[in-house]
Amino acid sequence: MSLSDREIGPDIIELCRRGDRDAFRTLYLAYKDRVYSISLYFFHGDAAAAGDATQQVFLKLITGIRQFRGDSGFSTWLYRLVVNTCTDSARQRKSQSLIRERSILETFPAAGSQEDESIRMQMAASVQLAVSELPAKFRLAVLLRYFEDLSYEEMAKVLNCSMGTVASRLSRGHRMLAEKLAPLKGWLRPGE
Amino acid sequence: MTMFDRHLSRKLAAFIDGERAPARTRQEEAHLARCARCRAELEQVRLGMSLLGRLPLAEAPETLWTSIEAALRLPAPRPTPHVRSWRLAWVAGLILVAAGVYWQAMRGPKARWEVVRLDGSPLVGSTRVAAVGLVGAGEWIETDARSRARIRIGEIGSVDVGRNTRVRVVAALPGEHRLALRSGELTASISAPPRLFFVETPAGTAVDLGCQYELQCDSAGNGRLRVAAGWVSFEWKGWESLVPAGATCHTRPRLGPGTPYFEDATERLIAALGTLDFEGAGPDALRIVLAESRIRDTLTLWHLLSRAPAGERPRVYDRMAQLSAPPAGVSRDLIMNLDGMALNRWREELAWTW
Repeated sequence: MSLSDREIGPDIIELCRRGDRDAFRTLYLAYKDRVYSISLYFFHGDAAAAGDATQQVFLKLITGIRQFRGDSGFSTWLYRLVVNTCTDSARQRKSQSLIRERSILETFPAAGSQEDESIRMQMAASVQLAVSELPAKFRLAVLLRYFEDLSYEEMAKVLNCSMGTVASRLSRGHRMLAEKLAPLKGWLRPGE
Repeated sequence: MTMFDRHLSRKLAAFIDGERAPARTRQEEAHLARCARCRAELEQVRLGMSLLGRLPLAEAPETLWTSIEAALRLPAPRPTPHVRSWRLAWVAGLILVAAGVYWQAMRGPKARWEVVRLDGSPLVGSTRVAAVGLVGAGEWIETDARSRARIRIGEIGSVDVGRNTRVRVVAALPGEHRLALRSGELTASISAPPRLFFVETPAGTAVDLGCQYELQCDSAGNGRLRVAAGWVSFEWKGWESLVPAGATCHTRPRLGPGTPYFEDATERLIAALGTLDFEGAGPDALRIVLAESRIRDTLTLWHLLSRAPAGERPRVYDRMAQLSAPPAGVSRDLIMNLDGMALNRWREELAWTW
């Protein structure tokens, strides 16, 4: 069971199926930040694209929730919408040139000095950049696992692939991140 | 090397996440104890996971819910009525539909879009547009060989009307933006949820799925759709061509949309496809299309699965499977029977290459 499925009970889903506006609002509040975050990092930090995708996901959810039969977790169904929306939008944007900033890693200070807020922000920006450079299949797998903690079985349903493929994409995706971000290793606290 | 000694590269995330069966885990632990390469890779996966922990959860913008509500026109909060029977729900539905139709009929003619002159003297009805004009449902926009115009489509985008073009506004509503292209050329740039913008032509209707595209139509009603960004669905009497960026689809009155193809496909493929779509060509033309197809041309082959005669479907399937194996859950039998879910699943997988 995913993080959000633990927060949203079947009664809320049933009310949504009946068109209850307050229930939709509850559902929206439970999922909005995770859906938005996945979209934001999928679209290379483009807030406008993430906002559009998030809006489309919830519009599809609200207009299509009667099609949710409950034979899999609600999150599985929702994140399938997220994956389809993000990949469709990405195709639409494929022809638009992507402006990539120079790697923040190049200007990152040497490990050892005291970590402050600006360094934490730089680390987050570096991780964001590295995530955005992952191939889309790996990017989606890594983001779904990180933000929603879906099981491999749930992810296989969401990504329409086998559990072995999920494991493979996560392994490769995380290794690629580690390779891109190797200079940051010294900044992680013990146990991180 | 035995099966227990295989490197674990692809399984390392599952190993760390505890997604492996206990018996496998013990074998893999034993392998890791012996294999320096896998131990190094395991540390890399762990590092990647740790670094990901630095990615903050981003808050969705405050205005997002307002936008969603506006798009849906959700009713104000009120207790949810308990529908006692399906008959009551059906009657309530009819009343809502009737109210919706009435509301649209009342509202439709009043909504008007801005028309900007780009060149020459375009007409809205019989009025020349000197700089900026307005156009509403039922009105025509007409350009000659020297004029062009731009229509601002409500809040969702714009349409450039090319030279020698006749186009009519059919509906200018928040939930339905609809033009009818009689002849000429237009270029649409739309940024909106799917199925809010439509262009009718003598050969069918172009349905926007969030995109930029060109649509041409000659005086006989023959047309061509070229998509620059996003997707367009061209629909006619149950036929549908899904056209992504970089692809083209020819259209004919009484025949609807042809099979879409990528513009960088070979000339032989494009020529053979034209004869298949509109000239009743047979197996020889299909043989050329199959032989000339690259993985990207599975766009064309996917459409041919449901368009080619049933007897030819296995050849199309075999060529597609040769170019890109069908994903889990998509079998030859399902595709031969045109199972909608299997077709869509394969399309979603293939679309990564389109």
